[in-house]
Amino acid sequence: MVTLTELKKDTRAFLCNSCAKCSTACPLDGFAGFSPVRMVSVGPGVEEVREQAVAAQRCLTCSLCEIRCPQGVHIAEFARGLRREAIDGLREPCPHGRVFQAAAVPEWTGQIPSRDLSWIDDDLRVAETGEIALFVGCLPLFDALFEGRFGVRTTDIARSAIRALNQLDIEPVIVAEERCCGHDLLWGGDDEGFATLARANTDSFAARGVELVLTTCAECCRTWRLDYPEAVPEYQPRVQHLVEYLDERLQAGELGFRDDDTPQTVTYQDPCRLGRHLGVTDAPRRLLDAAPGVELAEMDRSGADAVCCGTAGFIHCDAASRRLQAERLGSASDTGAATLVTACPKCLIHFACAQNEDGRRNRPSPAIEVEDLTIFTTRMLAGLEASSAGTNGERTEAVT
Amino acid sequence: MIGGDVRLDGGAAPHLLLTVPELQVDPIPVEEVAPAPCTRACPAGVNVKAYVSLIAEGRFAEALAEVRRRCTLPSVCGRICHAPCEPACRRSAFDGPLAIRALKRFVTDVGDGGEVAPAPITRDQAVAVIGSGPAGLTAAHDLRLGGYPVTIFEAKPELGGMLRYGIADYRLPPDVLDDEIAAVLGAGIDVETGHAISSYEDVTALMEGGYDAVLVAVGAQRGRLLAIPGEDDTAAVEDALGFLRRVNEGDRAPIDGKVIVIGGGSTAIEAARTALRLGAGPVEILYRRSRDEMPAGHEEVAQAEAEGVTFRFLAAPQRAVIQDGRLSGIECIEMELGAPDDDGRRRPVPIPDSTFFTEAGRVLAAVGQEAVLDFVPDDDAAMVDRGLLVADGATSMTRWWGVFAAGDVVSGPATVIEAIAAGHDVAASIAAYLETGTPQRPRSLPPPAVEYGLADPPPVEAPPLRPRILGLEPGAEFIEVEQAYTADDAVAEARRCLRCGPCSECAACAVTCDRRHLLVGLAPDGATRPRRWLPLRTTMAVAARLRTNGSAAAGVAAAPDAIDAAVEVRPVVVDYVEERCRGCALCLDVCQFGALELRDPDDPESRVVLDPAACRGCALCAAVCPTAALKPAAHADAWWDAVLGGIFEPGGDDGEGAAVVVTCDTHPPAGRDADGDVVACRCVGQVHPGMLLELARRGATRITVETCADCRFENGARLAQQHVDETRALLAALGGDAASVTLVHAPRPEAHAADAAASDVLATSLQGGGG
Repeated sequence: MVTLTELKKDTRAFLCNSCAKCSTACPLDGFAGFSPVRMVSVGPGVEEVREQAVAAQRCLTCSLCEIRCPQGVHIAEFARGLRREAIDGLREPCPHGRVFQAAAVPEWTGQIPSRDLSWIDDDLRVAETGEIALFVGCLPLFDALFEGRFGVRTTDIARSAIRALNQLDIEPVIVAEERCCGHDLLWGGDDEGFATLARANTDSFAARGVELVLTTCAECCRTWRLDYPEAVPEYQPRVQHLVEYLDERLQAGELGFRDDDTPQTVTYQDPCRLGRHLGVTDAPRRLLDAAPGVELAEMDRSGADAVCCGTAGFIHCDAASRRLQAERLGSASDTGAATLVTACPKCLIHFACAQNEDGRRNRPSPAIEVEDLTIFTTRMLAGLEASSAGTNGERTEAVT
Repeated sequence: MIGGDVRLDGGAAPHLLLTVPELQVDPIPVEEVAPAPCTRACPAGVNVKAYVSLIAEGRFAEALAEVRRRCTLPSVCGRICHAPCEPACRRSAFDGPLAIRALKRFVTDVGDGGEVAPAPITRDQAVAVIGSGPAGLTAAHDLRLGGYPVTIFEAKPELGGMLRYGIADYRLPPDVLDDEIAAVLGAGIDVETGHAISSYEDVTALMEGGYDAVLVAVGAQRGRLLAIPGEDDTAAVEDALGFLRRVNEGDRAPIDGKVIVIGGGSTAIEAARTALRLGAGPVEILYRRSRDEMPAGHEEVAQAEAEGVTFRFLAAPQRAVIQDGRLSGIECIEMELGAPDDDGRRRPVPIPDSTFFTEAGRVLAAVGQEAVLDFVPDDDAAMVDRGLLVADGATSMTRWWGVFAAGDVVSGPATVIEAIAAGHDVAASIAAYLETGTPQRPRSLPPPAVEYGLADPPPVEAPPLRPRILGLEPGAEFIEVEQAYTADDAVAEARRCLRCGPCSECAACAVTCDRRHLLVGLAPDGATRPRRWLPLRTTMAVAARLRTNGSAAAGVAAAPDAIDAAVEVRPVVVDYVEERCRGCALCLDVCQFGALELRDPDDPESRVVLDPAACRGCALCAAVCPTAALKPAAHADAWWDAVLGGIFEPGGDDGEGAAVVVTCDTHPPAGRDADGDVVACRCVGQVHPGMLLELARRGATRITVETCADCRFENGARLAQQHVDETRALLAALGGDAASVTLVHAPRPEAHAADAAASDVLATSLQGGGG
């Protein structure tokens, strides 16, 4: 059990001078009583801590505040620490009936032996052991819920990733015993559940001889790169978002785009886990720059200053989330781009959800297509025929 | 028992779990809880502390607005009010009360009356007001602001009644009165001057001429004479009121010689000082009791003495002495004070053999007034009592239905602020009568007396400052004697206020607070005095009280017979947290009861509102809500955990994992061949993939979701099917056994019908008593 004192030391919250720059930066500040500065400067009273532990559920943990904090307080980490306090009975209800939390909880009675990998098309080449692995994450689970509800098929991201790696003559390891990375449990305050998942995943990946873990999800990437080494120090493979890896290969001249310079303008949403948490903002832009015919138009706030898609993981969602999504889609549309690409399936789902709602409610919706960067990039790689790439990125008809 | 809000006990009357969801906390106006002594002393309920506080802050316009809230004639009251608030002032016990009346006068002098716009006419019943004194003007003003067309009928050529004809110009300048009346009439009151109501037919003509209510506020215009021998033989003995009326109408004929005024009230003082101004000398006031018993205010008395009026107390006139056809004086008798009489004052008793003669060229009788009631038929004796009109004390209505009376004509001569108070009250009665057919005005309880301790002398910010009084100057006899405060003086005097009570009651917060942090507003309370909501979070919190509100409560009250037994107060509806709502409106598609709707359907950003009275707790909305803004109250996580705990007791299963049947709670488990643990809930449609997955995770090897073939909740079966499909897909992706989750249709059992009937009774009663 971490005490408030320890939490404040660990996250530098003791240095907070209550300047409230965090609150001015926070996209949620003032909504339903949430205020970063109040949270960080919480006093030692039991009631006060519990109150702020509940309030901390609302934090996006997007870390936008942290780039403004003159004292370098790890505010998102602080919120995460407080959520541990809330785990007993105070937890706010999770969106989507806690279905992803239920799926993530490590203790399954009558262990599930291995995941269904039938989504891997026959023309895709994968391996059982090897140095380079693709961590698929929750993409197949998302499809179970969201493909039917509003036509987002996230397994296409994984298919594209394998296809791109195949193009580099890499047969990525796909681990059937893979479990949820534990991001939502960790950020929900369940350290114990997270540690179990981290152990299970690192064990199975280590057993396959994996030395480089690639992900297509910003949250998985952050979790593998920053949080797993703390939980499982003895196994520390390299961890990269596929976008970083493709960028490296591109710079090394091993990767090329095909000759099709149909002009198109895109804009890029920095996922907070990738942009601010891991500092990866240039790689996706270099990829987009290199893609033929693609012009990148930046939103008014981008890179380290990018605004969150409204929800981190599936931890909390409310009216403020919708507002952020609407504003962000509006910003993207204002750039004149036809497509908003992002490197996180959560961003993709949340934006698609907002657009679907706009349709339901006959709301004016910013005219912009949202697409995953892995799919977008893979579609344009040299050597991939349009026919085979065609299965990528095509949304099934939205169910309304 | 799970999830149900309606149960059947062997077919008996349904036991209902009721909720009275919205208990609202209302602040009550502070002036009704702990009024300051000054406010409590004011007959018209003018919030003295509030406007004095505002003056102390230099906020004169707001102070004037505060005065106007209850005082129709602030400039008049600022000059001639007898100011019962001042003796009540707690500072009286130390360095003297605040000069409250003078402070009021100050704000009326500096305050901007502004252009008064006519109030809108919103009613079609018209009111006739007979008489334009303070009672008539106030009632006419209140009713006009209440939307009624009002016409004032005045016998004299000018409005004002006793204010114009009974009060001399040196106290109340006519132009001040003119402005004041103009401001009142500016609300849109029609006036007919020179229109006397002098016969019964005149009254009936009004009633037949389109007026739905008539207010008689003609005052007590006739001064009584002394009822002593000889007074009828000379014109030199006259009633003081008639004298004052003549002077105020412009007759400024000089008076020679000695004038004796009989009486101890304001009229006596007024007559004496007026006589002095017309050149009389000496002027003596003869009063049968002592100085302490004088009804006139001590300031008036002091000013009269300062001007040279002399007093002879404990003496009464017995006979007017006439010599050579002219009044030479009066014969008087000395009095002494005996036992207290009915009104608590000691009764004057003549002293035998103490007769004396005093010379006088003129005698003015100020010994009482009576109403001129020539519109009352002689045979209607019950309408009149001791020269005054009889009206019901609680409703102000006379024996004539629709004819009301108020002011001096009912009470006898009283003060201007008492007339204003009577005007407010009768206006409330008339409004109640026109609206409901009965004149019962909303009862306003007298404010409670609050004892404010005063252990220590109050801080002295400034010495008491009374307004300056001009002396009697030749050639300027009738200019106003009392001088107004300067702004600095007014502020200094107002700052002496101790502000008895919880706050200053200035209500400035209501004006400045444009956010809803403070529960402040001006809310009309029927036609009576406006209620002011004061901030809940101030020291006023002690004044908070609970009141029940909400359609559910109203419905329960309206249909008590439908409620057999309220066994438990518990929400039967889904929990809803609006701030979590994204406005996706998915829930609208699954609610068949219309319990959910968009707050503003035309606003694309609108969120959903939940009508607890219409909600029947099926919680299908909660199953489709993506954000958990809607949650099944009975299926909260804690309940679900308890169910799961019951199913998956350690060591409780047989090693093959548990079989679970999720079913509608209208299926009697005993009547069915259940092949596993039964989870009964209000509708299986509310069991979403998260719950089903949790069952699987805990080791349920077989999950059967039973839907009713004819679901009482239209969308239950469809949602159950969707949730089962999604759960199977999730399980498949996770590598589990998708086939372990199945959905079957169960026939609807007999109990359904009875349950549905009970539900309908509940729904009807909660939706408004079947009205």
